[in-house]
Amino acid sequence: MSDKGDAEEEPPHLLWGLDPVFKAFARLYVKDILQMRQSRQVPGIYFYKTHPVFQVDVLGTVVYRREREDFCCYGVDDSTGVINCLCWKDEKWRDFGDSVKGRGGGVFDAEEQLRKLREAQRSRMELDIGDVLRVRGTVKTSRQQREIMASCFYKVSDPVMAVQISRMLEMPSLYRDCYDRPFSVPPHQAGTAAAAEPGGLSDFQLLLGRAGRILKEFLREKEVARFRPYDVEYLLHPLLPRPAATPSVGQVWNLLKDSLKILQDEGEIFRKVLSPDEVYNVTEQDKDLLAAIMDVLREDSKREKYTEKGCHVLHVLSSVRQRYSRNLSREALQVALRLLECNSDIISTTDSHYTVL
Amino acid sequence: MLPAHATFYFPWEIRTDAIKDGTSLRTCWVFQRDPSAPFLCAQTLRLASYLPEESRAVLTCVRASVQHQVSVRTTFVEPFHPVIGAQYIVLGETEKAEGGDAILHARVLTCVDGVDVALLQKAVDEQRSFFKDRDGPGPE
Repeated sequence: MSDKGDAEEEPPHLLWGLDPVFKAFARLYVKDILQMRQSRQVPGIYFYKTHPVFQVDVLGTVVYRREREDFCCYGVDDSTGVINCLCWKDEKWRDFGDSVKGRGGGVFDAEEQLRKLREAQRSRMELDIGDVLRVRGTVKTSRQQREIMASCFYKVSDPVMAVQISRMLEMPSLYRDCYDRPFSVPPHQAGTAAAAEPGGLSDFQLLLGRAGRILKEFLREKEVARFRPYDVEYLLHPLLPRPAATPSVGQVWNLLKDSLKILQDEGEIFRKVLSPDEVYNVTEQDKDLLAAIMDVLREDSKREKYTEKGCHVLHVLSSVRQRYSRNLSREALQVALRLLECNSDIISTTDSHYTVL
Repeated sequence: MLPAHATFYFPWEIRTDAIKDGTSLRTCWVFQRDPSAPFLCAQTLRLASYLPEESRAVLTCVRASVQHQVSVRTTFVEPFHPVIGAQYIVLGETEKAEGGDAILHARVLTCVDGVDVALLQKAVDEQRSFFKDRDGPGPE
């Protein structure tokens, strides 16, 4: 395992979530943790063979100890390597006061029991050289030294080495069954848009997701209020195969149609008027829509019926439909209401009621 | 700053010519496989004697009718309260002593009386064979 990992050998970072090892606290040998190569795609992530790793679980003997005010640094040796583990001290142990004298005499003293519990907890968090430590935490490289920033650690009571032996026995099989098996990305997830055929449902959904994101970003950046499909068609060309032949035009058009449908369903865009001229309004940029919603809320909030609780969203929807557009969907209205609330123009009194400020 | 890691070695493997001076290692049990016996018998590394004035403990084990002895310098782990006859795990550096005997300068000396020697032997063997398969034959 050299440190010089090529980015090409690493699976794309968007797919790392598919690897169960990525989310687990990997039980690697310290030797492997020290030799893992850093990812070229995302800093702070490391690779053991083809698996992305950033959190590990280590069990070993403390062979080095350095204490500071806020944390203790333990050198942990699992017989394959030694690694520094940074273990933050819990603030509650710092002010650990004197013991409270128990009443004794067989009476259950809650305070005494609590004190004993705290003492037991505290003693498991303070270790000395020779103790067995279990650590779970994230791997970091600091001053060219690899170390573990512990998120959880405790002293293991292991008088007959049962825990350490059990760990030693399970590690090789963990490696064989899991870590040494390559991270295989399912083929239909790995395919790029260029190589993809619209077989495999998830493949198309991936494409659709990308198309939707591209359109949303464009509309937001350029503050587009209204558009027609052919205005934005060119944005999707990079997603599909290069050749500018008729088949690709059809593909782009289908992709565009489906993406616009999704944006409509989400309420990001809507058609004010259903006519042969396919014009879409961008909800958040439609000043007239926002004004219409404000008018409805302002007027109706004065009415006794709505003063206390505000107007229900369905009431607002039917009013705005009458005033502004019969085709306005509830989703688009919710997007507009959310924007107005973010701007502090209106306020939601419940999940479905709104009023003006 | 951090000490070198301590690999598992069995007591009969700690001969001064087999292991370089200054190597960090840990040692413990001896699992003895007697080919003539129908069952496996285990021997352990036990504390035979402790000389506090010399800071020296002697641990022994028997394998194939040969007594193996490891001297352990205990300066780093004092005060050391010995339990004569108990099983111990020693983690430390090898030193060459006069007469060619193995001496370990212990950094960790823990009593683990009651350990399952057979299982520990199996665990060490499994780890060794795993590394051998994965990394090829090497010191570990």
